[in-house]
Amino acid sequence: MGAGLIAILLFVFALEMMKSGAKGLTPVLRGHLDIEHAADCLGLGWLMAYVVLSGSPAAAIAMALLSAETLTQIQAFAMVSGSRLGASSIVLLLGFIYTLRGHEPWTVLSTGVLSLLLTASVQFPGLLVGVFMLKQGWLDAIYWPWLTHFSTGINAVINPIMGPITQFFPQWALFVLGGAVITLSFQLFDKALPEFRFKRAGLNRPSRLIYRPEIMFFMGLLVTLLTLSVSVSIGILVPLSARGYVRRENIMPYILGANISTMIDTLAAALILGAPQAVIVVLAHMMSAVIVSLPIVLLAYEPYTRLMSGALEWTLRKRRNFAIFLGIFLLVPIVLILS
Amino acid sequence: MNVSMRMLLYSDGSQLGSQALRLGIRIASAMANTVDIVAISRSTDQEGEVVEQAAVAAEKLRVAGVSVTVYPRSGTMLDELLNQAEAVDYDLIVVGSRGRRGIRRLIAGSRACSILKGTTTSVLVVKGKERENIDHILVGSAAGPESEETVRFAARLARALDASVALLHVMSQVALEEHAKAADLEAEAEELMERDAREGVHLENMLKILHQEGVEAKALVRHGLIVEEIVDEARNGHFDILAIGAHTVPGVEGLLSSDLSERIMLSAERPILIVHQGRET
Repeated sequence: MGAGLIAILLFVFALEMMKSGAKGLTPVLRGHLDIEHAADCLGLGWLMAYVVLSGSPAAAIAMALLSAETLTQIQAFAMVSGSRLGASSIVLLLGFIYTLRGHEPWTVLSTGVLSLLLTASVQFPGLLVGVFMLKQGWLDAIYWPWLTHFSTGINAVINPIMGPITQFFPQWALFVLGGAVITLSFQLFDKALPEFRFKRAGLNRPSRLIYRPEIMFFMGLLVTLLTLSVSVSIGILVPLSARGYVRRENIMPYILGANISTMIDTLAAALILGAPQAVIVVLAHMMSAVIVSLPIVLLAYEPYTRLMSGALEWTLRKRRNFAIFLGIFLLVPIVLILS
Repeated sequence: MNVSMRMLLYSDGSQLGSQALRLGIRIASAMANTVDIVAISRSTDQEGEVVEQAAVAAEKLRVAGVSVTVYPRSGTMLDELLNQAEAVDYDLIVVGSRGRRGIRRLIAGSRACSILKGTTTSVLVVKGKERENIDHILVGSAAGPESEETVRFAARLARALDASVALLHVMSQVALEEHAKAADLEAEAEELMERDAREGVHLENMLKILHQEGVEAKALVRHGLIVEEIVDEARNGHFDILAIGAHTVPGVEGLLSSDLSERIMLSAERPILIVHQGRET
């Protein structure tokens, strides 16, 4: 409880620090890193998630940059998409480390590889849907007067502490410090989460039962809403199997659902920043994920699972295939930034 | 020959019904002692033809030593078969299926699916091209005690038809954590049996049942999605009948579960035997 409270406080402080420091980052992003287009931002969010080993801080950073008008809505949207892809790709880095150590246990990372495949299959089409929604301004009509009051209230509490800090540090350092603190806050929050056990709920026979895809989809969505993390949400399934296995028929729709509600912490960041344009970006991201995922689950589930299962098997069949897969996901974000 | 098996067949004058009736006669001649044939006509014009077809079938069965009763009825195949199955306790119902999928199934429905849902009796759904011989039977096993009844039913069928059996288990799992025994997930049937893995022990026990019945049998393991792998093995292994257990899960879990037997039945392009638990003769 105490750790959770500290994590939330750190989260709020970190967002304010990044918001204050973001303006000082514009010359660095536009000048030295040449971050100007949505593709650059996609790569940036992706790489940033690799660096901090989590997608949530990278997405929160995108919100801070948007609220300071360092990024446009479409750029921020792309960066958030990149953060989701990067978060799922971290499993490949772990696989790479295993391979360097001379082991061949990448098959134990199969859930992670599957998670990445599913995330990529939703994020790329979702990127097109989301950019279209933002360009059309479908969500611009949403107006929340309470958001300004909410943000003003938070600022009234935080400003007496933030004031001296903002004067002491240069803007870029404030942003970097904010990024570090927000990463720490997510780590603290993960540790503070209570342990859920499906076994207690009676759903303890997954090795035999294949649940309806729509049931697993909504379960993944709901559990991730409570745990705020896809990896923690999947970890909750571990007690369901004595041997640490899960049937791919069950895990696939679960991950699709989880990928939607994992954005809830980014939504919280956008609300705390008091930036309506940031809230719109997060809502557009969640809605585009729903628009892509739901038809898959309801209408094209069988061919989709065949495609994903085939891709998983190809990736894990040979060391060479795994290396190709790893190479693609490591190089693409770099290529996106350099192109 | 089995001395206590009771089967329900039908004649309706259709090509599909005739194909189901022919396979039903072949199986009943080998393993049933009592057969009821429902002669279902949709109009009075059709009645003579349908009853005649049932009479010919009944004669063939009587020659094979089977006791036969013909019930002339008018109505739909679905209603008449379900009514008859409710009135009498059968061990096996044989029905034909067009194998409608996708939009066609949404529009026209699947009679075979309705029969599967409407009865607790085991059902042989006859579909795909007609087979001259029944030499190879594929049995899908879930590696749990619920599969035993399916294996016993398939063993009796194989013995009666002098067919061989391949017992298939599909490993569709992926490792959820670092400490999971990933090697088991990639192992073939022989390796699983040598390692005494849960699936291996189950396959060995099921092979024993088949061998005790005097049936030539082997175990297979495939890796991938359950429905796709079973259907693919049935097709590429050129099996004549596919046998699986009915996916009946009681209570809330039943509402939440996916009906794999229905999905397999709709996907497989060959006769498929769906064995209900608690119906062993």
